[in-house]
Amino acid sequence: MTTLLMNRNAKIKASTGEKRPVTVGSVLTYIGLLFWAFVSIFPVYWMLTFSLKNNAEIYGENVIGLPRYWLFSNYENAMRVGNISRYFVNSTLVAGSTIIIVLIAAFMATYAMTRLVWKGRKMMNKFFMLGLTIPIHASVVPIYIILARLQWLDTYGAIIIPYSAFSLSMGILICNGFMSDIPYDLDEAAFLDGCGVWGIFFRVITPLMMPAVATVGIYTFLQCWNELMFANVFIKSPEIRTLPVGIQALCGQYTTEWGPIGAALSIATIPTLLVYVFLSKRIQDSFIAGAVKG
Amino acid sequence: MKKTFSYKMNIFLFLLPALLLFIGVLIAPIFLSAYYGFMNKKGAGGAETWIGFANYTEIFTSTSLGFGKALGNSLLLALFSVGIQLPLALVLALKLGKGVRGERGFLSVYFMPVLISTVVIGQLWLKIYNPDYGILNQFLRSIGLGDWLNQKIGVWGTRAAWLSKTNPLALAACFVPILWQYVGYHMLLMYAGVKSVPKDLLEAAQLDGCTEGQVNRFIIIPYIKPILKVSVIFAVTGSLKSFDLIYVLMGQDKNPCDVPSTLMIRMLFSAKRYGMGSAIAVMLILLCFAFALLINIVFKDKEVR
Amino acid sequence: MKKLVALVLAAVMLLSLTSVFADAAEEKITLTLWDIATESDANRPAYNAALAYIAEKYPNIEIKEVSTENQQYKIDIAAAMADPSTLPDIFFTWSGAFLGDFVEEGNVYALNDVYANLETKDSLPEVMLANGTFGGKSYAVPLTMNIVAMFANMDLLAKAGWDKVPETYEELTKCCDDLVAAGITPFGCSGKETWCVTEYLEPIMEKFVGAETLGNIFNHVEGATWADADIKASVDAFQDMIKKGYFDANGMSLGNDEVKANFIAGKYAFYQNGTWNCGEVNKAGENFKVALFPVMNAERATYKQVIGGPSDSLAVSAHSPNAELAAKIAFELGKEICHAGYLAGSGLPAWTPDYDTSEVLPLVNDVAAIVAEAEGMVLFGDTAMGGEDKDKYLAYVDQVYSCELDGQSFMDGLAGDLW
Repeated sequence: MTTLLMNRNAKIKASTGEKRPVTVGSVLTYIGLLFWAFVSIFPVYWMLTFSLKNNAEIYGENVIGLPRYWLFSNYENAMRVGNISRYFVNSTLVAGSTIIIVLIAAFMATYAMTRLVWKGRKMMNKFFMLGLTIPIHASVVPIYIILARLQWLDTYGAIIIPYSAFSLSMGILICNGFMSDIPYDLDEAAFLDGCGVWGIFFRVITPLMMPAVATVGIYTFLQCWNELMFANVFIKSPEIRTLPVGIQALCGQYTTEWGPIGAALSIATIPTLLVYVFLSKRIQDSFIAGAVKG
Repeated sequence: MKKTFSYKMNIFLFLLPALLLFIGVLIAPIFLSAYYGFMNKKGAGGAETWIGFANYTEIFTSTSLGFGKALGNSLLLALFSVGIQLPLALVLALKLGKGVRGERGFLSVYFMPVLISTVVIGQLWLKIYNPDYGILNQFLRSIGLGDWLNQKIGVWGTRAAWLSKTNPLALAACFVPILWQYVGYHMLLMYAGVKSVPKDLLEAAQLDGCTEGQVNRFIIIPYIKPILKVSVIFAVTGSLKSFDLIYVLMGQDKNPCDVPSTLMIRMLFSAKRYGMGSAIAVMLILLCFAFALLINIVFKDKEVR
Repeated sequence: MKKLVALVLAAVMLLSLTSVFADAAEEKITLTLWDIATESDANRPAYNAALAYIAEKYPNIEIKEVSTENQQYKIDIAAAMADPSTLPDIFFTWSGAFLGDFVEEGNVYALNDVYANLETKDSLPEVMLANGTFGGKSYAVPLTMNIVAMFANMDLLAKAGWDKVPETYEELTKCCDDLVAAGITPFGCSGKETWCVTEYLEPIMEKFVGAETLGNIFNHVEGATWADADIKASVDAFQDMIKKGYFDANGMSLGNDEVKANFIAGKYAFYQNGTWNCGEVNKAGENFKVALFPVMNAERATYKQVIGGPSDSLAVSAHSPNAELAAKIAFELGKEICHAGYLAGSGLPAWTPDYDTSEVLPLVNDVAAIVAEAEGMVLFGDTAMGGEDKDKYLAYVDQVYSCELDGQSFMDGLAGDLW
């Protein structure tokens, strides 16, 4: 696909005989683009450098340069006092479970709404899409009360289930796009081979939906990796706390020592950035798929 | 064959997990909130008395509650979002989408802030805005704006304290990180749109001698209108829903940068007025739906013309 | 089929995951304790000592402690009240209306019977239970008691030519003028956390209207009203100090921890806040003293009237399956936390000491002297008032610090909105 586009581009260039001359306009454009790149990246750069400095450097001696002494002890402090590694595991566990639940529920619902024939499936789809506009914070107390009745508070489930529900709409939206692209002839062929609806779902549709897994997974991952409010209210035990809550608490404890705060912030950010470096295209595609296919 | 595919039991079973989640976690709470919104419920476990629309009347009439101001703040944010963030994103997307050297690099860098947790962004910007040692003030002082920073604002206080309740720029200071973080998101959506414009359309326009501006205006922007609509909806409802960053930057007490969500959290957990907190929650949900609908109508209108 | 099995397995795994962590079955009796003694809290060592004591004395009881940061704690405990079955057995609380609201909801266990049979009853005077008593029943085990004090950095005062803490308002303004002239900021106060502003405003109000009147206003005693010319005068006096540049302008955008750190680092001459800071301030050096805010209206107030009282407490959930046992443990914990906290400088003891007190920090001893001679004590306004009243009050206080409201509108507003 991309090569095709490139060929076309080349053709356009060839046909117009244009060779992109270096004009004042294009230089200005470039400066503009570079400027915004700088604005996007600078706060993060600053965070990474001050996570390795002491207060004297941060407060004036060496504000924006690379650290002079590379104080990795800041990271040690953040890890030891903040119990960050535990929160890290928790966040991973929560995100992983949420992704699985969202995938199962979204695949099944999308199948019912795109492949099965019934009145009101369009309505049902619209109903699920309402979830995209509901503000998550508006439901804190009612969800709390429901969870309490079920005695689910302070368990992993207390955040996994709400996270799954709030990511579900986007999951269905994305799956819809992918599933509609699967030719309906396949269903019919499988049916003639003796498959029921369940057989078709598991043997025909699900294997073809693998590209959607990555897209939904990435989107859901970011939703629950970063959420603060629910994690804060529904979870009490330190053993179950997730990363954002841990970071928030740690920042409260180190108000005046900036190094360890920077370290904690970096610890929460670096993994996502690492994944992003390797999967940037995939991640971007998942966000595009979510919005554009709607 | 048709029969198998419309067998009611199967349909129900396939929908069941999603419906359970969706109704249990999203829909039922809305009805619970709506119910509590008509109650005078003091404290979570407190007695409930039916008071009809009294909470809603108070939301619209009470000045000490500050809902009007909070709503105004979030609408202002929506305005900035649509008026500054989206145009900036569009310009970046148009430039990138037509191919520049290092296109993918730029794209990845611009999008990066979207991936960072709001807690991290909030804490980071708290440090950036710190009156004494923050990088912003250190920068402004180094370029000779120290005197401006030390200027008095209002009765007392100086400009240096960006997030102070008396600083008229505090609201702007809260908006900057919010807008900053999501420029990349909108840029990415629009970029995908720009890339999807059929090349023969562009080719034809170029052969006709259209300038870049004309191509943008008459071909690309009309073509990506559905994406622009999505962006506007996300920007507006996102502004109405905004919470995390303002909560982290301004703290939990009443402040001039309040938005409906922070007000609601305070009503629920500090003033312990569950009825009122629920009423605000209902207002928020209604507003989000109303704006989404309105934007849909506005865009449809334009498409017809 | 394989896929179906895999799906089912995944689902089962998830379910078991959530339940495994939910009930780690124990033979022992497990009591849960929620408090605000996080790692950075001044009280942490005291809690550690107390928990170790309990663990040794009651090997069959396991205490599961969850510590949360102060502001978040208020949210958590309020949320838990939404479904009282989620309350811990024992929880930290401030006495006064904060606890009163929960009592009213029927969520707190009355301690009278357990207190009556307590072995250590003699070291807990009944008067210490007063702030946690509602309708004749007591609900709170007091830990430490604290007052608002004006901490002074004597090194900085010396630079402005002062070798003592000012005792009258004239002296104080003179001293502040000298400090400003010497390029030193007299006061630091967080504008981000409104309770810090009350630590300034409440003593000033008390020194205008007197302890009795202020106490009546805070507690909404019949006939008490905010419409008092001296309430207006106290706000005006406070704002006068602000407008003269006595307060650090940057404090408006800082949290209390940052302001406190600035004071300890020698950035301000004075810091008016709770005496739970004694330990931290004491640790920073010997150049600090405690004093009280001077008298503003000698006809109604005296110097030795203070703001504060026993507030930090433990309470027991009425829904705890082991409520009586939890109450007993709460008393034991309370006594031990009080003991260790007193020695560590996080407050004065609500329980009469029955141990060696020669190691008590000098600053704490000074505070003890002040309290011993106190001629009136008014509990913190945001503790005395509850729920929405407290929020309204704090909203007004907040606008006082940012000078959006003058004394007149503060007085009129509170008289209209409250009483």
